Amino acid sequence: MTEEEMAKKAVEALDIVPGGDTRRRPVHTNGVGVEGHFVASEAARDYCVAEHFQGGKIKVTARFSNGSGKTALHDGWSDVRGLAVRFHLEQDKQEERAVDLLAMTLTEFFTPTYETFLKFASYTNPEAPVTRQSAWRKLLELLELIQPALPAPYPGQTTSSVAGALRYADEHARSELSIFHAAAIGAPKSYARAAYHAVHTFFAVAPDGTRRAVRFNWVPVSGVLNTGPEDPVVDDYLKSDLQLRIKGKLGIGTDPEPVRFILMMTIGETGDDFDDPSRSWPPHRTRIVMGTLTIDAVASDQDADGERLSFNPWRLVEGLEPSNDPILSLRRNAYEFSRKRRGGVAGCPFSGV
Amino acid sequence: MAGESGFDTFVDDLPRKWWFKLLANWIVIPFWAWLRPTPPLPGGPRPTPQPSENVQRMMNLVMPLKDKSPLGRAYAAMAVAQNVNEIFAGLDNVGTVHFARFVVIGDNLCMISVYDGDFTNYIRDFIATVGSVFDAIMDLVEGGEAVKPCETKIDAFIDWIHAHDLFQAPDLPTDLFRLQDAARGVERKREPGLLRSLSREYILQLNANPNFSLGGGYRAYPGFSVAQVRQKLGVGW
Ligand code: HEM
Repeated sequence: MTEEEMAKKAVEALDIVPGGDTRRRPVHTNGVGVEGHFVASEAARDYCVAEHFQGGKIKVTARFSNGSGKTALHDGWSDVRGLAVRFHLEQDKQEERAVDLLAMTLTEFFTPTYETFLKFASYTNPEAPVTRQSAWRKLLELLELIQPALPAPYPGQTTSSVAGALRYADEHARSELSIFHAAAIGAPKSYARAAYHAVHTFFAVAPDGTRRAVRFNWVPVSGVLNTGPEDPVVDDYLKSDLQLRIKGKLGIGTDPEPVRFILMMTIGETGDDFDDPSRSWPPHRTRIVMGTLTIDAVASDQDADGERLSFNPWRLVEGLEPSNDPILSLRRNAYEFSRKRRGGVAGCPFSGV
Repeated sequence: MAGESGFDTFVDDLPRKWWFKLLANWIVIPFWAWLRPTPPLPGGPRPTPQPSENVQRMMNLVMPLKDKSPLGRAYAAMAVAQNVNEIFAGLDNVGTVHFARFVVIGDNLCMISVYDGDFTNYIRDFIATVGSVFDAIMDLVEGGEAVKPCETKIDAFIDWIHAHDLFQAPDLPTDLFRLQDAARGVERKREPGLLRSLSREYILQLNANPNFSLGGGYRAYPGFSVAQVRQKLGVGW
C-alpha cells in the first residue's frame, strides 16, 4: 500500500459518518481561529537555528479545538483539546513560508503505529451507544477494588467511545497510559487554561550543528484548570471565554492575565524512544524555554481564519526535522487528504499528496 | 440521573459511606492482600542509565522514633539542632547534595534530600562526613542500634537507610503494573477491566507500604548536577 493510501484509510477510520462529512474536519471538528504573536527566548537560538527561534516578533495564526469529530458543540464534555499554531516566517519571493506546530492536551498519543491506530479506531467508534453498567456489576467491581468503568453520561449524551477505548487498553498494554489519561481528561475552564503537547519527537539543529531529539509543549501562563464536578455542564463557552479574556473583561480577580503560553522544549536522551508517540518522556529531562505565544484576537472571520485553515505537522523549516515516528509519517498525508476533501486552504508544500 | 434505580444510587453512594469504608479496610483489602500478595516495593530511585535521571535524585528517609511522645520528638529535634555545623560542613564536603533537611512528621524523624549520582556512594560519603551525627540519631530510632557505629557497619547501615527511604511511585502511573508484577514474579493476565484495576494496585502497595512518594518530583532545572550549577553561578567550588 502506498503512503497516500494509508493516509486515506487512516482518515476514513476517523470518520463518524461512513465516507465522512466532507465539509468539516473528521476530528477536531469544532474550533476557534485566533491571531497572535510569538517571541523567542534568549536561549532558543542556542538550541535551534529555525527562523522563528531567532528572536523578534513572529506573527501567528492558530486554532484551538475540541478533539471530537462530532459537529454538535459540547465544550463542557470531557474531551482532548487541540492547539494548532502557525508561525509566519519572512516571505520569500511571494512564497508563503511558515512552520506549524500541532499539539493536544494528552501527553501521549494512543498508538505507536499505523496498524495499531486502525485497530484502535475500530474499537473507538464515537457513534457507539452509551452503555451502562448494571448496579450489580458496579457493586462487584467495588469489591474488586477497581475503578468505576464509565462516567455517568452527560444530559443528552447517547453515544460514547469511552467503553471501546477502555476495552482496547485492556488488550493493548502500549496504550494503557494514554487511555488512562484520556479517560480522566475532563473539560478545561478555558482554552487558555490547558497545557498542549506536540507529542512526537523532532530534531532541533543548533548553530554548532548539534542535532538534539526534542519534544515541544505549550504551558499556559494562567495555569491549568478544569471545570469542577459541581460546575454546570455548558455546551458553548470556550470561544466567548477567549473573547472576554482578550478584552480583559473576565472580571477582576478571576483571570486578569492575557492569553499566553510558554513554549517548552524537552531534550531527549539515549534510551528514550524517539519514534514512539504513545509513551511520554519522564518529567526529568532538560527543558528549554523557547519563547512566549500571546493570543491577541479571536479571528473576526471564523470561516476564513479558522475553519478553512489547514495545519500540517510536516510544515517545518531548516533547523527542525521530523523523527521516524510512524504516526508522524502518517499524519503528513492524512492532513493533506483531509484538507482536500473538505476544501481547506494552504496545502502543505512538504506532503506528497 | 434518568433511568437510575434506587439500587443504582445506593451503589454509587457506597464509597462515601462510613460503614462501607470500614468493610473495605477490614475485609475487602485484607482479602485482596491475601489473594494477590504484594511485597512493599523498594525505596529510592530506580536504577537507570539515563543522565537526567541520575542527577537530582530524591531521598525521603523516614525513621520511626522509639519514643513516640513530645519528649521523644524533642530529643530528635535536639540531636539535629546540636549538630547543625557538623551536618552543613559535611554536606559541603559531600559535594553532590542540592538540598537536604530534617523534619519531624508524626513520630518520625525524616531526612529529605536531593542528590546527584549513585545512592550507595551518597550514603558512603555521608558516613565519612557526618557519620557521628547519624550515630547519635540511630540511638533514637527503631532498629537503629543494630547499625551503629555506621563507620564500621557500613553495609548494614546502607541497607537500613535504603529500607527506610520511601518507595517512589513511577512518574508514568501505569508503570506501577509492571513494577508490581516483577516484584511478585508473575506475568500479568490480560483480563477485562485491567486498566481500571490500577486503583487496586495502588491500594495493595499502600497497604504494604503506608508511606510513599508520589513520583520522583518536580525539578526547576532538570538534568543539571550540583557541580554544574555551582560552576555556572561562579561560587568558587
Ligand atoms: C494517526 C494519527 C493521527 C491522525 C490520522 C490524525 C488525523 C487528523 C485529521 C485528519 C485532522 C483534520 C485535519 C484537517 O482537515 O485539517 C486532524 C486534526 C488535528 N489533529 Fe490529528 N491526527 C493524528 C494524530 C494527532 C496527534 C498525535 C496530535 C497532537 C500532537 C493531533 C492533533 C491534531 C490537531 C490539534 C488537529 C486540529 C488542527 C486544526 O485546528 O486545524 N493529531 N487530525
